[in-house]
Amino acid sequence: MSANHKLEQLDFAVIGHQESWNDIKAFINGMRSDDVGDLSLEQVKNTFGYIPPRSVFKMKVRSKTDALIHGVYIETFIEPDKLGMQHLRTNITKVNEAIAVAQSLNAKIIALGGFTSIVLEGNLSTFNTTETKITTGNSLTAAYILKGIEKASKKFNVDLKSSNVLIIGATGDIGMACTNYLKGSVKNFLLCARNKRRLEKFSNEISEGGCSVSYDTDLSRLLPQADIIISAASSNDIAIEHYKKPVIICDAGYPKNLELKIAKTEGISLFHGGMGHIGYGYDFNPDYTKHFYRYPLPHIGHGCVLEAVVLAFENKFENYSNGKGNISNLKIDDIYAMSIKHGLELAPFYNSKGLWT
Amino acid sequence: MESTNHQFKSIDEFNVVSDVFSQAITGELIGMSNFASLSGTIDDPHEKMEAVEHADSERQHAEGFLAYANKIGLNVKINLNGEYWGRVRKVFLKYSEKNDFIACLIIQEVMLEAYAIAMYSDVGKALKGGPSKLFISIADEEKEHMDHSTEILREELEKNPPEFLKKFEEIHYDCMTILAEFSATSKCESSCGVCQGDCLKLSLDHIDLDVTTMRGNALALYAKAMDNIGIPGEKSIQWIANLPA
Ligand SMILES: NC(=O)c1ccc[n+]([C@@H]2O[C@H](COP(=O)([O-])OP(=O)(O)OC[C@H]3O[C@@H](n4cnc5c(N)ncnc54)[C@H](OP(=O)(O)O)[C@@H]3O)[C@@H](O)[C@H]2O)c1
Repeated sequence: MSANHKLEQLDFAVIGHQESWNDIKAFINGMRSDDVGDLSLEQVKNTFGYIPPRSVFKMKVRSKTDALIHGVYIETFIEPDKLGMQHLRTNITKVNEAIAVAQSLNAKIIALGGFTSIVLEGNLSTFNTTETKITTGNSLTAAYILKGIEKASKKFNVDLKSSNVLIIGATGDIGMACTNYLKGSVKNFLLCARNKRRLEKFSNEISEGGCSVSYDTDLSRLLPQADIIISAASSNDIAIEHYKKPVIICDAGYPKNLELKIAKTEGISLFHGGMGHIGYGYDFNPDYTKHFYRYPLPHIGHGCVLEAVVLAFENKFENYSNGKGNISNLKIDDIYAMSIKHGLELAPFYNSKGLWT
Repeated sequence: MESTNHQFKSIDEFNVVSDVFSQAITGELIGMSNFASLSGTIDDPHEKMEAVEHADSERQHAEGFLAYANKIGLNVKINLNGEYWGRVRKVFLKYSEKNDFIACLIIQEVMLEAYAIAMYSDVGKALKGGPSKLFISIADEEKEHMDHSTEILREELEKNPPEFLKKFEEIHYDCMTILAEFSATSKCESSCGVCQGDCLKLSLDHIDLDVTTMRGNALALYAKAMDNIGIPGEKSIQWIANLPA
């Protein structure tokens, strides 16, 4: 993209994708005028998977300090039913094209939302030479997950120090960050991921640090012991069955379908984790929020997106969260403190049924 | 008529290839007529000559397709007044009659060219041998046309962005609506006046193509062309979203 050299510089860009074709349909139909009517799901599927990534709306976000920053949302049009390995090459191309769009718009920092950070697998070398910085946003996501766990435990009088904490997706960037942060604060770690070699290696590292660890690639063997569960895995096939009651679950993964896999919710307190609340609000232009915004309160956003917002408020344009396994406790504490300074706090607890009462 | 021993697997394949050539030749002749009209809208003598040159290049493409079609004995039908091509031509004339050079460039070099390049590239990949080479080489030449006009349109946008975007939007709905209906994934409601047998769109599987992919690739190229001109994504996505599908 070589156009529009004279654009003003944007503070941040968010690169993202929709969770389902129905979300894309709602979004696209929200753009259609009344006289042309709605497109069917089939028509949307037949068209929008082909559309190259592009900016869809501009944003203004306000800080507690009165600062105002400008950003853009870039939709990758990654097809929600094509997140598997066999589509990796196409998806990487789309993410790279989206990054190029952000660069052409002179965005100072880019947040890789949801799946887009995973497809790049920390391979940002092509873009490091440019002025634009890129962050996966995983540090603030981890911070909100951890604050959520802390707050929920207090709410239910659960003592973290005597709890078994299960991390699903323990060898992922967020899973590792959360595990490392909780070292010394929990009774026992139950670590789960599918790749045994990586899981074993990481579990050994944690236990060598003096923590009690059990690990298993079979989730069903860990579930009956867990008092607290952090799910940070992007997978459709995670089933929560035969669990200990009561249990607190922080579902931070995508797609958000953990609840659908739980036959009975009795004894489960589940919240969507890694989410923040923008205390001083934002404006979108054009404003399509009514067609895609699905949270029970206004001004809720993903930690990964909000990390770029916070860094932009701080004028801290750097690849803050980059690659896999590089998130330190200090990074988590620092980004969380910056977030609070600008009025971005942990989102209230909610799940697909709405706010916790 | 000179004939070669080009082998078709079936009569269906022969019919589809015939219709593909018919659409391509008709489209090129529409392009030729458009550039000829466009030359009348231009004051600058060099640009006038360039428009005539472009018209000639489209004529050569049409002749190239026609000669090849005759060589392999295809059953070609040319109809500049068919349902969709006729409407496209009318839209073009609406702007050329107003001497609106920029509007004409947008229709011919962005919208029609995006469809032509995408279609020729897909057909080029699907067909084998001589026809494949012909479609690919003409697609490459059309890309050069598109690149050249992108420069002009980018400058035009930079002069007065709101006015340019307003004009582009109006032309988009005038012209792209027709192309989007033409390429809709459902069967044409009435005959397009160019295809001779069944609706080409539903018969493309005989040459291992499908209308969804071809339409998707054409819209993708159109979207990229708008990006290259510098049209903001917020606008282009809204315009594409409002097209018939
Ligand atoms: N709330 C937010 O704001 C936010 C922000 C960023 C990311 N996220 C989401 O958080 C999740 C984790 O992100 P990440 O960057 O840490 O991803 P990642 O580095 O790719 O890690 C994913 C982890 O999940 C494991 N995993 C995948 N499928 C599994 C399954 N069926 N059972 C058990 N483990 C499984 C992977 O290991 P194996 O492959 O060995 O199983 C890996 O340990 C993603 O879903 C992402 O979309 C949320």
